[in-house]
Amino acid sequence: MQNKNNPLSPHLQIYKWQISSLLSISHRIVGVVNILAITLICFWTISLLFGKDNYLIVQIFLNSIFGKFLTISLCWTFSFHILNEIRHLSWDAGFGFDLKIAKFTGVLTLFGSFLLTIIFYFLGRNFF
Amino acid sequence: MAQFSLPKNSKIEVGKYYKDKTNSKNLRKIKVYRWDPSTGKNPRTDTFEVDMDSCGPKVLDILIKIKNEIDPSLTFRRSCAHGVCGSCAMNIDGVNTLACIKSHTDINGDLNVYPLPHLKVVKDLIGDLTTLYKQYESIQPWLKTGKTDQEKIEIKQSQKDREKLDGYYECILCACCSTACPSYWWNGDKYLGPAVLLQAYRWINDSRDNDKKERLKKVADELKLYRCHTIMNCTNSCPKGLNPAKAIGSIKKMLATS
Repeated sequence: MQNKNNPLSPHLQIYKWQISSLLSISHRIVGVVNILAITLICFWTISLLFGKDNYLIVQIFLNSIFGKFLTISLCWTFSFHILNEIRHLSWDAGFGFDLKIAKFTGVLTLFGSFLLTIIFYFLGRNFF
Repeated sequence: MAQFSLPKNSKIEVGKYYKDKTNSKNLRKIKVYRWDPSTGKNPRTDTFEVDMDSCGPKVLDILIKIKNEIDPSLTFRRSCAHGVCGSCAMNIDGVNTLACIKSHTDINGDLNVYPLPHLKVVKDLIGDLTTLYKQYESIQPWLKTGKTDQEKIEIKQSQKDREKLDGYYECILCACCSTACPSYWWNGDKYLGPAVLLQAYRWINDSRDNDKKERLKKVADELKLYRCHTIMNCTNSCPKGLNPAKAIGSIKKMLATS
C-alpha cells in the first residue's frame, strides 16, 4: 500500500502512563543523571590533588541550600536506580513478569527509593 | 533518533460536534479520531453525543450505533464482536484494547477513541499493519519438522509439552501489545515487537518443532529482540490477558543459557 502522505496515528500524546512505563523511562533518565554525577564526583576527587582549597570550594557549595538539594536528589537517583536495577535483574533471571507482581515491585521500588534516600542521607550525616 | 511529536500532516484538529437528536437524558460524549484520505486535510476528533439508554454495553456497540444512526462514514474494523478475531483493536481511553470486550461503563468521563498508536492511518480508526504482518511472516509461524511428508502417523505431543504453549497459543494478533510499546514506536521497522516475539516464542517452545536452534539464532539480534526494555506496556494492554513481556524474557533467558 502506498501511504506516504497518510498521517501517523497519535502515540505518546494519547497513551496513558502505566506505572511500569513511567518507571522504565525514569530508570533511563536517572541512569544518565547518575553517570554525569559520578563523572563530576571523580573530578572533585581529582581536584584534591591540586590542593585543599579546591576541595573546600565544592564543600562549601554542597553545604548551601541548593547543594543540599542536589545531594539529596542524587541520593534518590542512586537509590532508585539500584532498586529498579534489582527488578530488571530478576526479570533477566526470568522472575516477576506476572502483571500483578510487576506492578507491586514497581510501587515497592518507588517507595523503597525514598526510604533508601533518607537512610543514605542520614548515613552521610553520621546520624546513626 | 525517535521523533516524539507528530509530523505536520498528523496534527489533530478539533472536528465536528454531533448534537443529540433523540432528546435522551442519558447522554455520553464520545470523541473519535477521524481522517478521510479523500479530503487531504489533517486528522480531527469528532465529538458524538450518544444516547446510552438504547446502546449496548461495549465500546464497539457505541461505534456501531454511531455508524448506524449518526454518521455512516465512520470507519473501523470489526468482525466477531467476541474478542476472538482481534479486528477491532484500538486505543480506548488511552490504552490499547479490543472495542468489543471493553465495557464503556468501566471508563469515567468522555470516551476517547483513537486508532492503534504510531501506525499510518488508512482511514478513521484503521491503522496500516503491513509491517507487523511482514515481521510475523519473517519468524516463519508454522511447524518445521524436517520430516518427509511420508509419515503415516501424526506427530504426538505429551500433555506436559502441550501445556508449555498455554498463554502463548491464545494470541489473536490484534497488535494491541506491539502498538502499545514505545520501543516499537521508535524502532518499529527493525524491532519485531511484542506480538511477533510472543509468536516466535510459541514456535520455539513447541516440542514438535525441530528448528528450535535456527529459530533462536534468527531472533537473536540487537535490534530484533534486544530493543525490548521490559517497559511492560504490552502485558498491560493485552486484551487476552497474555504476557508478551514474559515470552520475550524467556527468549532472552534461553539465549543467555544456551
